[in-house]
Amino acid sequence: MKAAQFEHHEPTTVDEAVSLLESLDEPTILAGGQSLVPMMRFRLARPETVVDLNRIEDLEYLREDEGHLRIGALARHADVEESALIAERYGSFADCAPLVADPQIRNQGTLVGSVAQSDPKGDWGTVILAHDGEVVASGPDGERVVPADEFFLLPYDNTLAESELITEIRVPVPDEREGSAYHKLKRKVGDYAMVGVAARVVLDDDGTIDTARVALTAVDITNARSPGAEAVLEGESPSADLLREAGEAAADESNPESDEHGSADYKRNMVRVLTQRALADAVERAR
Amino acid sequence: MTQKEITLTVNGTERELTVEPRRLLVHAIREDLDLTGTHIGCDTGNCGACTVYKDGQAVKSCLQFAVQADGSEVTTVEGMADLPEAGSGRDDDLHPIQEGFREMHGLQCGYCTPGMIMAGKALLEENPDPTDEEIRERISGNLCRCTGYQNIVKSIQYAADVYNDREPPEPQAEAEAAADGGTPMGGGGTTGGCGCDGPAGSGATVDLEHDYPTTGAGPASPADDPTSDGGGDAR
Repeated sequence: MKAAQFEHHEPTTVDEAVSLLESLDEPTILAGGQSLVPMMRFRLARPETVVDLNRIEDLEYLREDEGHLRIGALARHADVEESALIAERYGSFADCAPLVADPQIRNQGTLVGSVAQSDPKGDWGTVILAHDGEVVASGPDGERVVPADEFFLLPYDNTLAESELITEIRVPVPDEREGSAYHKLKRKVGDYAMVGVAARVVLDDDGTIDTARVALTAVDITNARSPGAEAVLEGESPSADLLREAGEAAADESNPESDEHGSADYKRNMVRVLTQRALADAVERAR
Repeated sequence: MTQKEITLTVNGTERELTVEPRRLLVHAIREDLDLTGTHIGCDTGNCGACTVYKDGQAVKSCLQFAVQADGSEVTTVEGMADLPEAGSGRDDDLHPIQEGFREMHGLQCGYCTPGMIMAGKALLEENPDPTDEEIRERISGNLCRCTGYQNIVKSIQYAADVYNDREPPEPQAEAEAAADGGTPMGGGGTTGGCGCDGPAGSGATVDLEHDYPTTGAGPASPADDPTSDGGGDAR
């Protein structure tokens, strides 16, 4: 099917993009387009104006700078997948990138776009939550930084205003004794997560867990943290029993729905299992 | 609605097009440029039949608008035989990946083949000597619904042999023919490429009560059957 007619705007700077977003009537932002283009083809989305960010070269970056890993709005999934920096220091990002969609889509789709799409089955929001990430948005009143915790509202809905665009997503650079991991259950390549779990731990000098983050994909109305699992872990020494307890807490806090891929009970059980696995990897990497 | 002027370099030739913003890249390639080797399989971005090689990467041309490709260099399956590496295998004209698909029976109906070839091209540019596992990963965004993936992997591996100055395997049809003492395509028996595993001997009356052996008549095992994916799947 063909998309409905639309006007195509190609700003070359963020400022230009913001003023277009402000002046146009109900504009839609196009970055990687791997969700938006099919939605437009099926006419699930019928924007009259599209602001295409792909000519804004300043947004093509993935780097560590001033204490943060910074991911520009045009960094593709494949850029994350192929980054030596990511492979070396960001376990959960390195785990997640090759599990997103398929190779062609990863060449085109963007991490920031995936977060902006705010699909509860999207993977990156979960990873960003586990890393205490921040969403940097530019709008008519300048720049605004939103903690990932406060960003997601409902499926496909977030705190971005219509005239705002995300220019960057950033997460603090990891501590010396920090490790993270992402585990995803899906039937085959290209599928969305049936369940996904991101885990991150920071260990004390004596090996106890100082900070723990557990975040879940596809088992709630948004990507969501599991504070119960985190509370089980913090201040404790990692052990198989402790991780099992955290897995059970995460499963209890999850709210999966039954669908054609599995029952809610099955998914809850998978949250329990994947939480333990992701935590085990994270602890291993932190040591 | 306003149309846009765009320039695409397709298979080495600069082409100027006037398109509506909503025109997909795949439609511009197929309909405006009349290069129908790039296929549309699924309309949903799943099947990969529309894969083209754009600015050094495999992308699905049904998942972007033509205006987004303005200024890009695109290679489609029609351009493969004009690339520098074409003719470096046994065939003087074909690209080694194309030759691989022909020699290793990498296709049956051929619908997915252009996309598979372009995904293979992107892989070999980045990694000229991939493992089977790496090939399977990189064609995981491309669906084949008839041959399975075994021979597609072999076809790309054949091209990798050419890229690395190794002798590629003998063509499968001739190798089988030599073993059978028959003609290519298993003319000596039922072990050919048809994929049927019915009872031996044409014209036999099918007795539904009879417990037919599952081996012997047809391929001995899925792994021996060139048309089976042997339970393995690139997915």
